[in-house]
Amino acid sequence: MSRPTWLARVVFAAAALGGAWVMFVGLPRWYPDEDPVVPAGGAADRSTAGAQTVSTLFYVSDDGMRLVGVPRRLARRSNPTAQARVILEQQLSAPPPPLTSPIPPGTALRAVYLTADGDAYVDLTEEIALGHAGGSREELFTVYAIVNALTMNLAAVDAVQILVDGVEVDTLVGHVDLQRPLRQNLDLLEAPGTDWTPADDAPADPDRSS
Amino acid sequence: MSASPHPRPPVERCAGVRRGRTRGIGWAALCILLAAALPGGAQPAPEGLTIVSRDGRRSLPTVEVGGRTMVALTELMEPFGLRLGDDRAPGRLTLLRGTSVMVLTADDGIVSAAGRLESLSTPPVQRGGVWYVPIDFIGRALPLISDRPVELRSRSGLVIVGDVRVPQVVARYRRTGPRSRLSLMVTPSVEPRVERAAARLFVTFEADAVDLVLRDFAPDDLLRRVLVDDRRARLEMELGGAFGSYAASSSPAIGGSLDVVIDLRPAAEARAAPPPEPEPDPGPAGGTEGGAEAEAGLPDLADLALPSTVRAVAIDAGHGGADVGTRGPEGTLEKDVTLSVARRLQAAIQRRLGLRVVLTRSADTNVTLDERAAIANNNRADLFISLHANASMRETAAGAEVFHLRPSEYDHDPGDAPAGGARIPVVGGGTRVLDIVRWERAQLRFVDRSAVWAQTLAEELRARLPMSPRGVQRAPLRVLVGANMPAALVEMGFISNPDQEAQLASPAFQNAVVDAVLASIVRFRDLAEQGFPEDDPLAEDPPPDDAAEIREPIP
Repeated sequence: MSRPTWLARVVFAAAALGGAWVMFVGLPRWYPDEDPVVPAGGAADRSTAGAQTVSTLFYVSDDGMRLVGVPRRLARRSNPTAQARVILEQQLSAPPPPLTSPIPPGTALRAVYLTADGDAYVDLTEEIALGHAGGSREELFTVYAIVNALTMNLAAVDAVQILVDGVEVDTLVGHVDLQRPLRQNLDLLEAPGTDWTPADDAPADPDRSS
Repeated sequence: MSASPHPRPPVERCAGVRRGRTRGIGWAALCILLAAALPGGAQPAPEGLTIVSRDGRRSLPTVEVGGRTMVALTELMEPFGLRLGDDRAPGRLTLLRGTSVMVLTADDGIVSAAGRLESLSTPPVQRGGVWYVPIDFIGRALPLISDRPVELRSRSGLVIVGDVRVPQVVARYRRTGPRSRLSLMVTPSVEPRVERAAARLFVTFEADAVDLVLRDFAPDDLLRRVLVDDRRARLEMELGGAFGSYAASSSPAIGGSLDVVIDLRPAAEARAAPPPEPEPDPGPAGGTEGGAEAEAGLPDLADLALPSTVRAVAIDAGHGGADVGTRGPEGTLEKDVTLSVARRLQAAIQRRLGLRVVLTRSADTNVTLDERAAIANNNRADLFISLHANASMRETAAGAEVFHLRPSEYDHDPGDAPAGGARIPVVGGGTRVLDIVRWERAQLRFVDRSAVWAQTLAEELRARLPMSPRGVQRAPLRVLVGANMPAALVEMGFISNPDQEAQLASPAFQNAVVDAVLASIVRFRDLAEQGFPEDDPLAEDPPPDDAAEIREPIP
């Protein structure tokens, strides 16, 4: 093999290797497709790359009478807004069976904003209202699954206001007041019966004593 | 602890830096800058970790290395029984525990332990011959080679080793008016003992330690501090000067947790109404709930006398027009059921009680929620009832439910004290004083009476109809917000349940609802004429009828 041919092959091989590196290592590294969100304040998720956290998300109990909190493993973000987004996206997506989501399917997160005084504004697509079956019970579950998911898992959030397609609404389907940020409500998590004390002459509930 | 399903390749080393705002070659520059910053040396971190095991507690100092909280590996050797392996290549370290092997590589975020790969939040670093690992190494890598469970609770800085019971207690403290409430979510469920000793309240758990996460705590004159007494697995609450009495209750909660509620009341109030005797064992004492929220932030409207009888009733047929409400499996529409019951109720009240009735809608029309309350207000109704039918994605859900306003959402607006009366001219000369109350606060002065009204309705409904296990509840329902009178919303049944759908459409069921509401109006009117218990200025506690608010522990 003559020297120029050999050299040409080496150069070609090096170029091919370099190209492959750029294709498979360099480009994915320079242009990551995951997590395009730039956390506010410039605090990149340095310490939390690949880290996970356990957050409590909320679904409807078997009997349809209360919300149940279910710990789910989620990606951890060091920035509260980014973490709120992770929590909400998981809360909006369909849960593994047999859990049932109180949120109408197809509902997507448009945006989430956190204010300095502890309010979170969660902007959802119109499916949250249009796809809703109605009824106070179900509407309370829908609203407080979202409110509790943020207030319970994020120390920075005290209250949550839900917006639909970017605008403030009275209610989703005619019951729960969405004109203001709502605070955490754990009453809906209690086993039914705990908020009902029968009068002395009323028959006692079998699942209660004391 | 989870193993990452896909071990990250070493090129991800600067992933955290890369992911932020840098793109293109910028990441490389940042990597270099960061690497340059790292040898800045190790500085003691403000707080260390604490190892909790059967052998007791020991502290585990942490250090700041290059802006990260890390632990010197030497600190972990003895507590976790680690030995150094013989393989001492530069930049590589082998750790042994029993027959398990772990290999660390300096500046590589992947640890190989017992044949598995685990990624760390930040790579181990070697500084001056000392190896430092990020604190998540304890929760992620150590369990792979340890013979005992190892758990890192990073929020409370606890490392839990082996079979020790360390319930996590997430505490929230909330002040509402003169009273306050400390809510504890205990996971896993461990029933605490609540005892008072002088100016302290002790919450003792049957456990080895307590992992306390205190959120949003602002000390006040009822509660100064919440501390953890590590030796006894108990919380120590330092009470403030205004403290008078407490009431504790607990109920099972989500995911095997236990919700413990400790209500604190000021001394002045305790004199007016003796507190329930604290009886912590076997279960904590029942406490009153809701009264605190109900009274909080109420405008001083003593000059605006509450009506002492019932002359007019507003009936709100839920939904209407394009808003059909919810729909049964057979196609029954909520708006039709509510209007039908409203008309029956109107006729019955007028004929049998002789009271004036205000309908917020008398046809299939759409009326906004605030308009409905406005119609009741403008027609000077003394009672408001909104009729609805419920829905659930569970077909079996059944029974009536009654709601009244959850006042906690509306009682904290700053600077919205009531404007009081305004004198305005009226047709025909003269003037008249009008009550001016902010819309959002209209219902607030009636929260106690609305609770009685809702409770009365629930009791009368229960005597005639199937009730949901959730008889009476508080919720921020918009239609009730602006009602300037005692107001409640009745969900008569679940239209989503096929049996209940048929019932709701039947005249017999609708008449039973009408009878229940009539009986409730009579009872409520009697109460109004005899004087409500809370009209007595000394009676600070909710009236006994307000039983919906009394929670009892479930053993």
